[in-house]
Amino acid sequence: MGRTQDHSEPLVRMEAIVKRFGTITALDGVDFEVEYQQVHALLGDNGAGKSTLIKILTGVYPPTEGRIYFEGRHVRFSSPRDARALGIETVYQDLALVDTMSITRNFFLGREIVRRLGPIPWLDMRAMNERTRSALRDIGIEIRAPHEKVGSLSGGERQSIAIGRAVHFGAKLLILDEPTSALSVAETRKVLSYIENAKARGLSVIFITHNVRHVHMVADAYTILRHGRKVGTYYRGELSERDIADLITGERER
Amino acid sequence: MLADSATLGPFLTLLVLFVLFSLFIPKFLSWRSVSGIVNAATPIGIVTIGVTLLMICGEFDLSVGSLVALGGYVFAMLLLAGAPPALAALLAVALPALFGLLNGLLLVWTGIPSFIVTLGTRSIYRGIVWLFSGGTLIQMLERPAVLALFNGRLDVLNELLPKGANFRTSLIWFLLAVLVFQYLLTRTTFGNHIFAAGGNAQAAAAQGVNVSRVKVISFAFSGALAGLTGILLFSQFRTVRVTTGAGMELSAIAAAVVGGTALNGGVGSIWGALIGVLLISMLRTGVILMDIPFIPADNFEAVVGATIVGAAVLNTWLGQGRAKR
Repeated sequence: MGRTQDHSEPLVRMEAIVKRFGTITALDGVDFEVEYQQVHALLGDNGAGKSTLIKILTGVYPPTEGRIYFEGRHVRFSSPRDARALGIETVYQDLALVDTMSITRNFFLGREIVRRLGPIPWLDMRAMNERTRSALRDIGIEIRAPHEKVGSLSGGERQSIAIGRAVHFGAKLLILDEPTSALSVAETRKVLSYIENAKARGLSVIFITHNVRHVHMVADAYTILRHGRKVGTYYRGELSERDIADLITGERER
Repeated sequence: MLADSATLGPFLTLLVLFVLFSLFIPKFLSWRSVSGIVNAATPIGIVTIGVTLLMICGEFDLSVGSLVALGGYVFAMLLLAGAPPALAALLAVALPALFGLLNGLLLVWTGIPSFIVTLGTRSIYRGIVWLFSGGTLIQMLERPAVLALFNGRLDVLNELLPKGANFRTSLIWFLLAVLVFQYLLTRTTFGNHIFAAGGNAQAAAAQGVNVSRVKVISFAFSGALAGLTGILLFSQFRTVRVTTGAGMELSAIAAAVVGGTALNGGVGSIWGALIGVLLISMLRTGVILMDIPFIPADNFEAVVGATIVGAAVLNTWLGQGRAKR
């Protein structure tokens, strides 16, 4: 799918990122770029540095060395709030939604629609229910009842709501951490389709995964890390599943 | 309100027990006995509102009993010193609220579970009450009008009802508090954040909820409500002693759980608090009136305790059934 806009700079450019924790070097000079409207997979074995790289990008902690550019501008995050404010949203499997609350309350958590009767504020549940339903429908998600508790939904449905929420509220970059692990085949297919929908809406998506097949199905590009270094960035169709697996484990060097 | 099934189970239990007691206990279904049940429930009920709010956001306040005593003493001492009643009442609510705030701040600063923090402040605040009062109880001989305002006879209602009705004005304060806090919990942004902080604090924080602020404010509310309870108790008995309120924290937690509030947070309602205190108060009265052969009246607490456990099991079981659907 071609890009609908042409930008001279990529959406995300992480330049020569080094991260040390005491004597341990988690990342040793990694360059990482994500283009506009691109689905980019981040691959690597445990300990390769994927989480660390993403945590730096989402403002959890700063890089020891190196710079981050977002939308062409140099950025420095002092907290995850800064990254969110720029439109970088992370969706973690278990940490995205509150199971005991309804879909609508989750959807608008932190951004509640409030009406006022004089000095007295009250939640506009009708507007929020309506908006939740239509926003999710726009991304291809049909929900039975917006006041249903999130805890009664399946893993795939929960992911979809978290993704739909990020898209609706203007995220520019969506980061998914192992979005398809612990999902059935049918659910995985749905979640991958939501990722494609998000991209169609203009977002870029980074997803961290171990699953090489999913990379093949949905990723425009993929970057492989090993032992804190970047092995390489490849594009759709360049490598076979076997090649990718070998690069992750080190059977192949490049 | 009842569509939220966290409250449905407890409400049905209350209804069923009321019907059973009315049918099988001769003296139970009288205005005298019902108003007695309600009057006993209102002070603990107000404390339970604050405790419920905190439990929903995932925290405990074991120091509320001590704050009830503090509120009572502040109110009594200021009245005796000739202060305007409004000021006395205001400070009797504000000072415990401040100590409640301190509970919240300690929680946020140290990261120690609130159960432990308030287990400590429970004793510390009780000690402050000791210092404040010099260890002496206060017994007021006069009956200033303000006492009738807070916990006097609710004759407006009593006159409308058959002889024997003995409702007190504390009922009005209780209902007001229930309405205000249920509204806060279910119809405001703050309430949404309370549920989120208790249901999944990390997810809430990820969405920009200031979990610490939510908890600190809830602790302040809990303290304020404890202070109000101190005022109501003093208004009824014209007495406050250093042991006033001792044990109320546990009764409040029990009532909250019976009313459908979950121990690990994220689920509950203020109507549930009301149902919980009414249920327990009703149970006490019912068991005493029943005069069960093998349960001497002074051991009725065992029956109450057994019901608390039973109600909690029922609520959990219903909650799990709901989640599976």
